[in-house]
Amino acid sequence: MMELMTFAGIALIKIVVVLIVVLTTVAFLTLAERKVLSWMQDRMGPMEVGPYGILQPLADGLKLFFKEDIIPAGANWALFSLAPILSLVPALIGFAVIPYGPNKEVELFGYTFKPFVITDINIGILYILAFASIGAYGVILGGWASNNKYSLLGGLRAAAQVISYELNIGLAIIGVLILSGSLSMVKIAEAQAGGFWHWYIFGGLQVIGFVVYLISAVAETNRLPFDLAEAESELVAGWMTEYSGMRFAFFFMAEYTNMVLVSCVAAVLFFGGWQAPYPGTLLPENLAWIEGIFWFTVKVFFFLFMFFWLRATLPRLRYDQLMRFGWKVMLPLALANVVLTAIVVYLVRQ
Amino acid sequence: MENPTMTLGQWVKRLTFYEILIGMKATITVFIQRIILRNRPAVTLQYPHEKRDLPGSYRGMIALLRYDDETEKCVGCDLCEAACPSRVITVISAEKEGEPMKRYAKEYYMDMSRCIFCGLCIQACPVDALAMTKEYEWAVYNKRDLRLNKPQLLALGDRNFPERERKIEFQHHNVAFFNIGHHDLPPMTSKDQPPVTP
Repeated sequence: MMELMTFAGIALIKIVVVLIVVLTTVAFLTLAERKVLSWMQDRMGPMEVGPYGILQPLADGLKLFFKEDIIPAGANWALFSLAPILSLVPALIGFAVIPYGPNKEVELFGYTFKPFVITDINIGILYILAFASIGAYGVILGGWASNNKYSLLGGLRAAAQVISYELNIGLAIIGVLILSGSLSMVKIAEAQAGGFWHWYIFGGLQVIGFVVYLISAVAETNRLPFDLAEAESELVAGWMTEYSGMRFAFFFMAEYTNMVLVSCVAAVLFFGGWQAPYPGTLLPENLAWIEGIFWFTVKVFFFLFMFFWLRATLPRLRYDQLMRFGWKVMLPLALANVVLTAIVVYLVRQ
Repeated sequence: MENPTMTLGQWVKRLTFYEILIGMKATITVFIQRIILRNRPAVTLQYPHEKRDLPGSYRGMIALLRYDDETEKCVGCDLCEAACPSRVITVISAEKEGEPMKRYAKEYYMDMSRCIFCGLCIQACPVDALAMTKEYEWAVYNKRDLRLNKPQLLALGDRNFPERERKIEFQHHNVAFFNIGHHDLPPMTSKDQPPVTP
């Protein structure tokens, strides 16, 4: 009984820490996006709340929290209320299997635990993909339950888009899975130790897989240039048209949480997770975790910057272009990557 | 992929997302200039804290002017009212006490909520009694606050044009008040005043 209590207590502490870190990142990601976009467009971005607008996320959060809770008259209130939760929770659940630092056991006050790996389930990547698909239900249900044609169109678009690009994500990572021989995020990251030439994008020649993954991840998170579901110039705000206040904030947080999640997955699968780009570690053995977390953070934030960079550069695709690109370009490329990787791995391991 | 005769170079460009990379280079160049090199200022102004320089010909709020001896320039001729295309101006003119040939604006109203800032009233005024200031921050909660009366319009003129024109003292009372543009005045007779050149 005591053992179970300890296990549950440590797990709860880890969950709380991860949630705080992720949600803080998400909050300041909204500010970072506005700032980066404005710097790329000769503007200043938010400047009023705090020095250089640094407290803008707090002001936004307070505003959204105190807004009136509006449910449209014709809406299905149960699904209307469920949709934001269904959108945010799967996005947050994925963080349970991300390895943030070295897979080391630490002993503290007589308890042994792994501080930087919440859980190491052996189908980690499958778990993330599965919950990412559930997240799409939030968008679809939110679009349907709003009783609004723009919301419905946005939800339908999101459904088609997410299904198309989920397939490409699943195929793009198969190269990595062939190379590592495991679905566990920790094992995949550990297999890439020893310098950047061992990372799967360079050492495993997964460039095609990485590019397909990155593009599909942008589409999967409904970000520009694939924000067909939101498309404010065509569909008002897509599936979010009727949402306001905290419900809207949930959708908003889900979008940014998904961005962080796919960035984490990209870092782990293709860029070695917490592994430094040089062999071994610079810091002594017992401080190596600082270096691991540092490199993981650098990689994740590079991908997040990539999202902003793409958004600042590219206009939105047309719907038929999006579908054609997904099925006629990304899918064959991902399949070719699987075949090529399989052949190369077979020949090398002979 | 619609074009069957794509050259090898075109294929390479398409496969490497060449055109997209060009665009990404443009945005990152601006980003680096702005944040790392710091040689590219923002084009926006932090408006309530910073304000842009207005050109000399800026058309802002309209004001009534005075001469240097604090008397009003306006002679109550109603020409501004006639010139106004949106019927902003209402002039109620009256004779000056004891001076039957001299008139003045007993009441003068401008409904600035209707004003289109065309400047026709300023052009129409024969005595240059109206002028446009550079004031533009005139948002009010009650639109009736924009109906300005004569003291308000004079106060606007006072605070925007501290240097006042000299009053023309030498005019005969019987000269019609339309002739008074200071550019076609008779030569000066008074000793202490410099001659006015055209």
